[in-house]
Amino acid sequence: MAKYNKYVQIGEPEMPMMYVEPAMIQLAEKHENIMLVLEDMGGTGLKWFTENAPNRVIECGVAEANAAVIAGGLAAEGFIPFISSFDFAVVGRAYNQIRQSILVDRFNVKIMGRGGAWGDGGVSHNSVETLGYTRCLPNLVIISPADSVEAKKAFIAMTEYVGPVFFRQEAGPLPPRIYTEDYPFQLGRAYSIKDGKDATIIATGLMVGIAIKAEEILEKEGLDVGILDMCTIKPLDEEAIIKASVETGAIVTAENGITIGGLSEGVAAVLCENAPCPMVQFGIQDEFSQSARTLPDRDELAEHFALTPEDLAVSVKEAIAKKK
Amino acid sequence: MAADEKLIQTLKEKYVTALHNMFELLDGSLSGHTGGSMSMLDIIIVLYFHHLKLHPTDYDWPERDRVVLSKAHCCEAIYSVLPELGYVPREALKGYNAYREPFQGHADRWATPGIDYSGGSLGQGLSFAVGMAMAEKIKTGVNPPESKIPQFLPRFKTKYNPAYRCFCILGDGECNEGQVWEAAMFANKYKLDNLIAIIDYNKFSLDGPSDDIMPLSPFDEKWRSFGWWVKEIDGHNMREIVDTLELANNLYGDGKPKCIIAHTIKGHGIPSWEETHVHLARGEGVKVGVSEGREIYGKV
Repeated sequence: MAKYNKYVQIGEPEMPMMYVEPAMIQLAEKHENIMLVLEDMGGTGLKWFTENAPNRVIECGVAEANAAVIAGGLAAEGFIPFISSFDFAVVGRAYNQIRQSILVDRFNVKIMGRGGAWGDGGVSHNSVETLGYTRCLPNLVIISPADSVEAKKAFIAMTEYVGPVFFRQEAGPLPPRIYTEDYPFQLGRAYSIKDGKDATIIATGLMVGIAIKAEEILEKEGLDVGILDMCTIKPLDEEAIIKASVETGAIVTAENGITIGGLSEGVAAVLCENAPCPMVQFGIQDEFSQSARTLPDRDELAEHFALTPEDLAVSVKEAIAKKK
Repeated sequence: MAADEKLIQTLKEKYVTALHNMFELLDGSLSGHTGGSMSMLDIIIVLYFHHLKLHPTDYDWPERDRVVLSKAHCCEAIYSVLPELGYVPREALKGYNAYREPFQGHADRWATPGIDYSGGSLGQGLSFAVGMAMAEKIKTGVNPPESKIPQFLPRFKTKYNPAYRCFCILGDGECNEGQVWEAAMFANKYKLDNLIAIIDYNKFSLDGPSDDIMPLSPFDEKWRSFGWWVKEIDGHNMREIVDTLELANNLYGDGKPKCIIAHTIKGHGIPSWEETHVHLARGEGVKVGVSEGREIYGKV
């Protein structure tokens, strides 16, 4: 098991939010200015807040635009408001509100979104385009954790950070446990799960787990592929991207969403400007998602969008072939 | 208590001073949202020179009254009073709309001391004021009976949590935005009686008369049905503005957000701007209006 770097120990699939919830409660006990501004879609640690600090729960009803700006107003007075819903609602329905009334003045609002191609919500709820329209927003930090440990650590880091942050959660197949409890997460830093020689998969969120499986396939074929976990999508860890390019000479980006404007375009820009190398974008092309079931033996959506570990392994081989 | 004559006289003098400041702003930029700025200037004068609790040398003073200019394009009206109060040096008037100057094209919290909200995207200001009013309610724990906010955290008691009021100035055109009514519903739910919305009802928006673009009538009834205390006034009558603000202030504790609908005239006081219901004046339009204004109100 020596192939993985320190702090990596692959375990059973887990629900990341199970670890985020207790972290939220601990933080809420410590910082009495943490508020839940609800959009009739629940919130992290809501039960604890309702029982222990009901005055810190503000319910706006199904009015995402209003909720986002109210959160801005609360933040202007020193509170740390959390707004949460599906990506399309919490960000999409309040896009200009977040821009004008939160980001322009860097108000300390935390945005919890749920999105990605997977899920039983259908085309409306399975937002695949979120990263494209959030990455271009100045002053916004975007994080997309890969497993439960990283989700917890990233959640704590974003709460301690003073400024607006978008925390992206994903539906779909549960990610395996990837990190050990002492994993030292840093906002804005990618973590190399495994170093490689032939290529590097730069993945984020759910795709990190898929990348680990793809790497196992490739290893059997005699390829030495690295995996870089890009939890912070904005700002990107440019240093880590350049290092991966220099050391392995081929990059495959993997994301749960449309590649236009997403992680892949961010990585591509860094590569083009600093260390050009063959690259393949692994994600969804210009297409919306739909409802699909994740069954024990088959993942309908991954098959539809060609997002399985086998597909990723093919993409990695394509990138390696381009090196010649 | 009705406002005394001396106060009204002083405010009228301040009005003229502010007007000349506004002309100076326009001299430099040769563009400005003059129509809406002129229609709300009387209200701004009463607020800034009489009614608001302010601390110009410490613009972040926690006890200050918050002012959210939701119709942020009409920032000229506020810019024209800020140098008089000492928030910004007088020279700033010359740099309106210019690079790295405190007076930006729309009200900007980061650029201008004394501005509480960076606006420009219409319809959001009331929500922001609601957030600020809510923050005051939670921190001070000054809740009217039956408030939806049960108890504030004991730990807040130990901190410096002064009471303040939140004023939000809206345009009539932006009341076409659905979000204004989302915020109105919210303010009623949480009984934000520390929130005072003042609507500059000048009956015209960019494309034409408000009644043609999207009728607001019955405007007062709309607000009342949302649970607000409503009073309609003549927005160019200083005495009425002074008295109404005091009345709204005295009603603090009734659990109702306050809405003052000020009937105004777009471009008020400048004949060519009044005639054309000017929204955004540029170049010659500014020059003509400013020279008319200087003639009417005298040179300083």
